[in-house]
Amino acid sequence: MFTRPDRRFYRAAALLLVAAAAFVIATLVIGGGPADAETVEPVAAGTSTATLVIQNVINGLAFGVLLALAAVGLSLIFGTTGLSNFAHGEQVTFGALLTFFLSTNEQVTIPLVPGSFTIGLPLWLAAIIAVIVSGGTGWLQDKLLWNPLRKRRVAVLQQMVVSIGLSLALLNMLQWWMGASRHRLTNASGGRITFGDFYIGTQTLMSVVIASIALLAVALFLLKTRLGRATRAISDNPALAAASGIRVDSIIRLVWVMSAALAGLGGILLALFDNGAGFDSGARILLLMFAAVTLGGLGQAFGALVGALVVGVVSEVSTVVIAPDMRYASALGILIIVLLVRPQGILGTKERVG
Amino acid sequence: MTAATQDVLITADDVWAGYIPGVSILNGCSLEVKKGELIGIIGPNGAGKSTFLKALFGLVPVTEGKFVLDGDDITNLRADQLVKRGIGFVPQTNNVFPSLTILENLEMGAYQRPQAFKERLDVIGDLFPVLIERKNQRAGSLSGGERQMVAMARALMMDPKVLLLDEPSAGLSPARQDETFVRTRDINKHGVTVIMVEQNARRCLQICDRGYVLDQGTAAYTATGQELLKDPKVIELYLGTLGA
Ligand SMILES: Nc1ncnc2c1ncn2[C@@H]1O[C@H](COP(=O)(O)OP(=O)(O)OP(=O)(O)O)[C@@H](O)[C@H]1O
Ligand SMILES: [Mg+2]
Repeated sequence: MFTRPDRRFYRAAALLLVAAAAFVIATLVIGGGPADAETVEPVAAGTSTATLVIQNVINGLAFGVLLALAAVGLSLIFGTTGLSNFAHGEQVTFGALLTFFLSTNEQVTIPLVPGSFTIGLPLWLAAIIAVIVSGGTGWLQDKLLWNPLRKRRVAVLQQMVVSIGLSLALLNMLQWWMGASRHRLTNASGGRITFGDFYIGTQTLMSVVIASIALLAVALFLLKTRLGRATRAISDNPALAAASGIRVDSIIRLVWVMSAALAGLGGILLALFDNGAGFDSGARILLLMFAAVTLGGLGQAFGALVGALVVGVVSEVSTVVIAPDMRYASALGILIIVLLVRPQGILGTKERVG
Repeated sequence: MTAATQDVLITADDVWAGYIPGVSILNGCSLEVKKGELIGIIGPNGAGKSTFLKALFGLVPVTEGKFVLDGDDITNLRADQLVKRGIGFVPQTNNVFPSLTILENLEMGAYQRPQAFKERLDVIGDLFPVLIERKNQRAGSLSGGERQMVAMARALMMDPKVLLLDEPSAGLSPARQDETFVRTRDINKHGVTVIMVEQNARRCLQICDRGYVLDQGTAAYTATGQELLKDPKVIELYLGTLGA
């Protein structure tokens, strides 16, 4: 299922570009004239719609890259095991909140443990530890939960229901641990880089760079390493992979570790982009991650990237014409439209029959 | 083991196996394969031929009885452990990784011995030169016959002692079918023991040393290929009345 970026990739990219351009033009036409200052935050009233749209495309691309990083694990797990993991959102939240827990100068607590304390590690160290611990949670849940379920040949639909239950349980545990308020990973405003009429926050830029490197590393892993190719082989056909001598279960274990770690990193970077994270940050973007993965083509690792960029751009640009609270709805609207036109997703291939 | 059984490579001893608990597809199937033999298994659709190969290869759970390889009990071992012990398996359907290139498919075949990949690739390249020419093509874009080649080449990458083939000629043109049988015989001549399930019963029995007729999950009878070709019951059921 994970294919090389071949001809189809470029065709899909072209398709995407055309769709994005059409969308932007449509927005310009519908929006017309100076934008309503209320619908967007930092740009001064009176800015032309064109400027506004381009600024939103920039924000959208940034959000898309971060969303892709958070979602790529969802796609990897679906590809190798067939599971739609509804608990993936909590994995994203966990990375952000653990980083906050380790790095903040405020007093923190652990449920059932008396007393409060501060750990106060530097942000970068806290983030590294959080990513490693996140990976560990992936290892642990595959060991204790998913692998036993697969061994007993529990169908993926039932597994999905288990993941929904797990998601709710984890959500409540996260709230118990961190309360209902939002937490900022850093108080530094970070400043912004302006170029002409446009800008990007330095924190955002940093996050996007880190996310891009991580995504590139995933791509190289899948395409250029033996283990990565075995992962793609399992996505294609687990029984044949086993028949080829691949230890399918250990590679799936590795996929769980990678997915959880990437989700954790995605959560941390999204918290920087979003100026904070709460117990439900991941749950809020769960559907967007599913949309991104489905849009790109289910189980296609590169699909998650393409899909997430579309979701990011569409949801940000749509704020030019609709209320910002509705932005995610427009992304889901695009999902429906794309699936009507290309049922297999942007990068997906129709299974050849016979 | 006595001298007489020494050259036995694989035995199936009263094997019961099935996909769903309580429903067995193999009902006390027994057979024996000697080192270097080419065994053909024929039988009606749904007889359990594919299931037999899958059970031997650890992909279908065996509930009773056992498989023995070289004197070792290999019942219900994981597929990757069986690969390590020198068994190669080409399934009847879905036998390539469609999104991987031909070269990547072959690499997966040698997954447990990456250090021998180059050397095996040369050997396989002699058998299937066309695969090397098109090594960067995705297997999903190949024709059915070409896929069968990739599938067989993939299974040969580990240099197996035993090769299990499930209907390697299915869906091929007559010329390609012939090629497949000749190649199988060839591989067998190079010392690989082959167990081959076939619908093309006549061609299969012509090239195999011994055939088994599998019916309703049991090995109904066995004889040399030539004998089975002359057996009236086999002629009537599997070869058609015109054959002889
Ligand atoms: N994955 C499966 N799950 C459940 N039952 C199965 C499965 N595969 C095969 N069966 C059942 O097992 C029986 C034997 O199937 P098998 O594939 O072994 O037959 P076969 O002899 O190979 O037939 P054919 O010549 O058509 O390939 C059939 O009745 C089939 O319904
Ligand atoms: Mg069959």
